Amino acid sequence: MVNVEDLRKEAKRILKEGKVKYVIGYERGQNGLMPKPAFIKDPEDVDRLIWNPTCVHNLTKFLVDEKKRKAGEKKPDERPVGIVVKGCDSRAIIVLLQEKYINREDVHILGISCEQTGVIDEKKLANKLKGKKAENIELDEKGNFVISVQGGTIKVPAEELLAERCLECRANYPVVYDLLLGDKTKKKVEEPFKSLEKMESLSEKERWAFWTEQLAKCIRCYACRSVCPMCYCDECVVDTINFAVTADTTASEKAGKIKWVEKSPVPSENFVYHMVRAMHLAGRCIDCGECERVCPLDIPLRFLNKKLEKEAKELFGYDAGFDPDEPSLVSSFKDEDPEDFIR
Amino acid sequence: MKKKTGVFVCHCGINIAGTVDVKKVAGDLAKHDGVDVSEDYVYMCSDPGQNMIIESIKENKLDNVVVACCSPTLHETTFRNAAKAAGINDFQCEIANIREQCSWVHKDMDKGTAKATKITKSAVEKVRQNEALEPISIPVTRRALVIGGGIAGIQAALDIANTGYEVILVERNPSIGGHMIQLSETFPTLDCSQCILSPKMVEVSKHPKIKLMTYSEVQEISGYVGNFNVKILQKPTYVDPDKCTLCDECTKVCPVVMTNEFDMGLTGRKAIYIPFPQAIPATYALDIRGCPGLVPIACGKCADVCEPEAIDYDMKAEIIEEEVGSIIVATGYDLYEKENLSEYGYGKYTDVLDGLQFERLCSASGPTQGKVLRPSDHKEPKEVVFIQCAGSRDPELHCAYCSKICCMYTAKHAMLYKHHVPDGQAYIFYIDIRSGGKGYEEFVQRAVEEDGVVYLRGKVAKVFEDKGKIKVWGVDTLAGKDIEIDADMVVLATAMRPSEGASELVKKLKIAMDKDGFLAEAHPKLRPVESVTSGMFLAGAAQAPKDIPEAVAQASGAAAKAISILSQERLFHSPMVAKVSLNLCTGCGMCVEVCPYDALSLKDGKVEVNEVLCEGCGTCQATCLRAAINVKNTTPSQVHEMIRASLGG
Repeated sequence: MVNVEDLRKEAKRILKEGKVKYVIGYERGQNGLMPKPAFIKDPEDVDRLIWNPTCVHNLTKFLVDEKKRKAGEKKPDERPVGIVVKGCDSRAIIVLLQEKYINREDVHILGISCEQTGVIDEKKLANKLKGKKAENIELDEKGNFVISVQGGTIKVPAEELLAERCLECRANYPVVYDLLLGDKTKKKVEEPFKSLEKMESLSEKERWAFWTEQLAKCIRCYACRSVCPMCYCDECVVDTINFAVTADTTASEKAGKIKWVEKSPVPSENFVYHMVRAMHLAGRCIDCGECERVCPLDIPLRFLNKKLEKEAKELFGYDAGFDPDEPSLVSSFKDEDPEDFIR
Repeated sequence: MKKKTGVFVCHCGINIAGTVDVKKVAGDLAKHDGVDVSEDYVYMCSDPGQNMIIESIKENKLDNVVVACCSPTLHETTFRNAAKAAGINDFQCEIANIREQCSWVHKDMDKGTAKATKITKSAVEKVRQNEALEPISIPVTRRALVIGGGIAGIQAALDIANTGYEVILVERNPSIGGHMIQLSETFPTLDCSQCILSPKMVEVSKHPKIKLMTYSEVQEISGYVGNFNVKILQKPTYVDPDKCTLCDECTKVCPVVMTNEFDMGLTGRKAIYIPFPQAIPATYALDIRGCPGLVPIACGKCADVCEPEAIDYDMKAEIIEEEVGSIIVATGYDLYEKENLSEYGYGKYTDVLDGLQFERLCSASGPTQGKVLRPSDHKEPKEVVFIQCAGSRDPELHCAYCSKICCMYTAKHAMLYKHHVPDGQAYIFYIDIRSGGKGYEEFVQRAVEEDGVVYLRGKVAKVFEDKGKIKVWGVDTLAGKDIEIDADMVVLATAMRPSEGASELVKKLKIAMDKDGFLAEAHPKLRPVESVTSGMFLAGAAQAPKDIPEAVAQASGAAAKAISILSQERLFHSPMVAKVSLNLCTGCGMCVEVCPYDALSLKDGKVEVNEVLCEGCGTCQATCLRAAINVKNTTPSQVHEMIRASLGG
């Protein structure tokens, strides 16, 4: 069992000893049950840190922000940042290490094992609450979530509340960490790509209809991109105004800017945006599910990334985010790689 | 100022004009935005055609030109030189391939014309954004490396050395000579193989410009054309060649008997051995795979009897680094594995031999001193069956390709057999007789007419031992009947395959293999001795099955190609290389991983291009998620405009 006090103790120690600049973790949110990211600088504030099945966010995105902020500072504080990660989040760190975006010494990783469960899905929870307001949520020893609501409790079997990705999780405890809290027993997942089955059973025509409907909803708020730790490029292919111009940018580079995608949220351009994002995440996405969680239009984005994850696994035996020294999927080539897609 | 572009469309006789309305293409292009001149001509590559381009550039003050013609592999240089002659940078000239990629593959005139127009427009869009580039100049190390000391390697080394350049000849076995030195006589003249090869071997060993490294293997190669760095592993022979007097006392006392590779396993040799009497370098080697131990306590008998104290158990493997400017790969062939040919009893019955074993049996230096005797009981075989295409031309079970030399050497084998055993009978099972080559057909006819060899057109179904004979069941498809022969010996014309370890070497050299594992040439017709990597050339059976004259000819060709590099003061490298946009590069290093030429490296968190190593293949460009690395004159913006033009926009 994970004891949140152990987490607070370690956070306090590293802050007190000046080992880290600050610690990124979870704290109670202002509105309802769901927590919010916490940035703790003062060792006395560590009691704000919490750990429970509502800690859904992938905080590694803040490591990307930290790097970008640091690049702009004249005399940056070179100390590492402490960060609380789950199994999935730790895989994002592995990918960032693999892509040399961050260095291992830049982070002090406080890993927490999800043990045999995971985190909840807010939407599933809302369905169960039927308008009631939850005050607390806990897992009992029989594997049920016990939700305290005004005037009683609601008991729900864990799999009915867990996020889809947790039901298919292949890394229920962190792959990389400086401190690990909780149990390291591997969770047995029989069908890691079960959620894809229904989509895969559809005909090409049906899939086209499905995605046309889904992607037509997109308002191009780019929340999916903003929340993704892998979307760290300074310049994104969809932004023509956001072109990173520096002192080194030559006139021909400026002139050579291409508008690959129109800004307007129309279906054809939305398709291009989401396809490009999915392709750029092939072999990099570690299925933290954040893009889908933050989408205000409920577009099932996870399908796209999960499908590519499956392809990488089945065609190339590749699993993103497990080995920082392995070459990334798109930059590796083996003689025995399948070529049957070449027609 | 707006750039002025000229377009020149070639008819190529009817090669292009047959399916493309060339005049219409030129007319449409004339209306294309930014095109100032658009003309057509029957043969643009002819002198008048080139002059037309040169004059037009001068007269109309063109900034760039597009020539719509054949593949750029053919005439890009021609037209770029014309552009240069007219006073503009050669890279301001682009080729629109409307022949191989259009007229030759289409039948419909309207569609062909429309496509040719789009291809040409897309080249116009590209050339408009081309940068003027100057070739990258690099110095040359004027030495060559030859890998493999068979006849091809020997010939190439001698040819290069005789022009005065230094050559390093690397051979992995203790002696040079390759498979040719194992042969008895050679077709079509039946002269003794050793007699014609050994003078060349001696010449190699005495040549002041050749550094011979036997018992050595290439371990690592880095660098680029003109400047390769090679690491060569020299394995220890444990015998000092300078001290060794070839007295042969050591082999008499050596207690270990091993398979004799030179006799293709028909005899044994000691763990300390000289591969064959004429070996070059003439010295012994101690094969540690069989030696009981390199310490006197384990055995030490050879060192005890060695009077000149040539045996040195402390000899260590050495890695020797060499700088060379060009490399010739002549790694030769091996025979198709025995275990794959069990249907012919190969590897199962002692008297079923492969061609090289039969060569040894016929050879005066062989295990039977040139008498053809059955290995099993040393009796003279009276009926011998030769089976051609054993493993070749059999795409279902074995190799799809023809091993090419078997028709000829089988005829030779049957002939030699008849010369040794005049009262014997030779049968040859064959699919076809392929005897193209000077004097080859006459040679085969001689086997039939003078030596009474029986040719049976058909395949052998089964070979098995029965009462001391080898029963061969086959079919004669010309007579349409089944054949059963009680043979005393069966000789298989086993397929040739690339020599063992060739695929690993290919990876080290970063050259390419074909689907059968033979080394791939840069162009099957026009660049047959060049590998896909510049500065590396191919010779001999490593590239494809071939006989001695062909191997020698290719070796001399490869040598001439190598010399064409070594004779230069400086080389020029194409400036179409990768360029990094530092502000976009995040230093993820994916391009470094994928670069097939090791041209990229990470420095201070950004990628750096070694322009000399870069071949401009664009793999990095395709890999980069951020479009931060681009090959010059193939930038995303150019590709974008090309796509737009191709789509008719």
